[in-house]
Amino acid sequence: MPSINYARAAEVTDRLESRLVESIGVNRRTVLGGLGVAGSAAVGLGGSGATATSGHGEEDHGTFGAVDEYRDTDFDPHEFLSTFNTGRDGQDTVPQAVYDEDGRTVREFELVAVDTTITIAPGVEFSAWAYNGQVPGPTLRVEEGDLVRIEFTNAGEHAHTIHPHLKNTNPRMDGVPQTGPGVVSSGESFTYEWVAQPAGVHLYHCHSLPLKAHIHRGLYGTIVVDPDPERVAERPREYVNYHGPITDEFRARLVAEAESRNHQYPANDDVTELVVVMNGFDTDFDGENEVYAANTRAFAYGVGDTDGEGTWQPGETRRPIRIDRTDRQRVYLVNAVEFDPINSFHTHSQFFDYYDHGTTLLPTDATVDTVMQCQAQRGIVELDYADHDPGLYMFHAHQSEFVELGWMSFFEVV
Amino acid sequence: MADTDVEDGGEDHAAAATADRTTDGGVEPGEEPTRPLGLPQWVAALVPVVLLVAVLGLFLFASPLSGVQSGEPLPDVTVTHATMPSDDTVVLHVTNNGPESVTFSQVLVDEAYWEFRVEGAGGDRTLAPRQSARIVVPYHWTPGWDLHVDLLLADGTTVSHTIVAPQASPGMTATVLVTLALVGVFVGIIPVVLGMLWFPFIRSMSDRALHAMLLFAAGVLAFLAFDAAFEAFELADRIPGVYEGPLLVVLGVVGALLSVQAVSAWRERRVAAGDDRAAGGLWVAYLVALGIGLHNLAEGLAIGSSFALGRVSLGTFLVVGFMLHNVTEGPAVVAPVADGERPALRHFAALGLLAGAPVILGGWIGGVAFSPTLGALFLAVGVGAILQVDWELARLVRAADGRVASATNLLSFLVGFAVMYATGILVVV
Repeated sequence: MPSINYARAAEVTDRLESRLVESIGVNRRTVLGGLGVAGSAAVGLGGSGATATSGHGEEDHGTFGAVDEYRDTDFDPHEFLSTFNTGRDGQDTVPQAVYDEDGRTVREFELVAVDTTITIAPGVEFSAWAYNGQVPGPTLRVEEGDLVRIEFTNAGEHAHTIHPHLKNTNPRMDGVPQTGPGVVSSGESFTYEWVAQPAGVHLYHCHSLPLKAHIHRGLYGTIVVDPDPERVAERPREYVNYHGPITDEFRARLVAEAESRNHQYPANDDVTELVVVMNGFDTDFDGENEVYAANTRAFAYGVGDTDGEGTWQPGETRRPIRIDRTDRQRVYLVNAVEFDPINSFHTHSQFFDYYDHGTTLLPTDATVDTVMQCQAQRGIVELDYADHDPGLYMFHAHQSEFVELGWMSFFEVV
Repeated sequence: MADTDVEDGGEDHAAAATADRTTDGGVEPGEEPTRPLGLPQWVAALVPVVLLVAVLGLFLFASPLSGVQSGEPLPDVTVTHATMPSDDTVVLHVTNNGPESVTFSQVLVDEAYWEFRVEGAGGDRTLAPRQSARIVVPYHWTPGWDLHVDLLLADGTTVSHTIVAPQASPGMTATVLVTLALVGVFVGIIPVVLGMLWFPFIRSMSDRALHAMLLFAAGVLAFLAFDAAFEAFELADRIPGVYEGPLLVVLGVVGALLSVQAVSAWRERRVAAGDDRAAGGLWVAYLVALGIGLHNLAEGLAIGSSFALGRVSLGTFLVVGFMLHNVTEGPAVVAPVADGERPALRHFAALGLLAGAPVILGGWIGGVAFSPTLGALFLAVGVGAILQVDWELARLVRAADGRVASATNLLSFLVGFAVMYATGILVVV
């Protein structure tokens, strides 16, 4: 795996560029062309100097995509992809603990709703309401059967709640205005307790009214409930939509899948796990999103720069997701987009297995390259790039509008 | 047929009627005004100015009201127009009207983020208040297919602009300049000069018919005034808010009216002082030519800017329409000199050029540097000038012992108006 430090590479390119511009007073495009020629000459590919200046300026069709890099580094979508808060370890901004209580594992997290400003496209800010200051909220990761205890404090100006998409048997803990404590007013706190069930990838979000505003402003996050392999061995039928005989071999296969999903088992280390929350932002209050994204920032997993003719460069903040082709890839996919009925996920040159809601251990859709989700729908996407050549593979919503407004990403397979 | 008696009488009357209007009846110089507080006059004039500067300085340096703010002013950006210099470039002309600077963070073309650069904003993408710039988007557009462009500001505000049925803007080449000049000759100079050839006929008319002719000219001009005023207010909608479009139009109208009136008053004073050259209808003819010239300048602007924006097909029909429309302006120019000695031919040439040639000039200005602000201002100035000229025509009739509001005259005015309306249908740029 070649090791390129993107930040350093970008810095060097910038420096070379500005030095060239200053010394010979040519424009940036010419310089980029020149650097390309210089580069190819350096590796012995030859190339005529004339191409550096002729360029393609006359027939430049322009390329779509955001202009500029992200300046605000409060939130790093690349880091967010595989940051899980398990109670045992996670983000510094999420105080957490794990302990036993009455023979049950309790995972405790402190979530605080705040009013903040986030960056959703280079140079474009959005006034958000956010759990612990980030959108999407912190990803929580627990095991099936655990007790999830959320010490929730509302430090925002509006009343908020946390509503879990779990099988919750106590209406007081549902996080809606009509039951339990109702909304948690500004400055107040409440402790939510939920049993982590069923296994899968789930959503938590604020259920205050108006709902559209509270969700689209950023109050949502992912909670991954890992299947318990022992429970799977005992009650395999709860994890499959299958009515045939359960052979030992079949049972073992399900247990193996559960172990691969469970962060406490070594089998989980062989899988690269990525959380992708599909969201959107309406910046001008017209009920339509100006930005669509995977994990909040438009084009954050795109390329930094491209000439539209097959060459590209990673940017400092806008660059593809690097994946190792020898690993399996698992995407925890959640749709939190507001104002649009559906969102979707499509991989280029690749077919995947899809587990709707992640509640089953056999795919609900096998060998597909596109899935569609309504708001709050989620699922697990299992990808395998082992037989692909290294390079860029696009993935995006297959609503062209969403793509061009930011929900366009790449895997860089190495 | 010439009625020399009446002519002479008319001149005498004109002089008599204006003799007592030459003074404003103000204080005669020579009376020493009292000194306020014993100070020289210029000191008294400067005191308020000095105090104002002192107070302004206090505000600038001490900012006593710096803490006073009620919320934040909203960003206010106008896209005045778009040009399409080539089939892969879109240029939006933007002005920041608001009191705060704005930053164009991203640009959406048909709901897709797109590359862009901002030209004329000092190298960055931020516009100071009242600053204008061009947003250049490399986009391969399709002729005739509308483009919706959204400018996304740093706080997420969108500024939307729809480019309806985009067409290439040809830009200004020598060929285009020559074409516009040729168009100007055909729609401006030729019809006006042709119209002026009615001069011998007008001269042979009776007094009554001549007055009717003058009122016909007034009707023509009145139509043009309405036409230009509506167009000016329409354009004013597209003027960046900071320039107060409608008020700019009002300023143009009132300003032109008063300026031309001042020239006219100055002329009367010269006549009263015994300057023969200033007397007579020739002045009025020049004023009429000036008013029509200003109107034709605006007409040229419209043709030139439509041409520059790729919005005009100068077909035979349009040119013929313009010729019919403008040929009525010829008799309007020469009617004031029909009464009395025939001016030298060079005056006719000058009148024709003054009235017709501005079409060429307007075409060039509109083609090279179209802006709604400039367009509306020219139109408004034309309206003001025309209003004054109508006033002047009425006085000409009255000075010749005619009754302005006779049945014949009123009908002639109406005919002038109606003819312009009818021929106006033929020309829509």
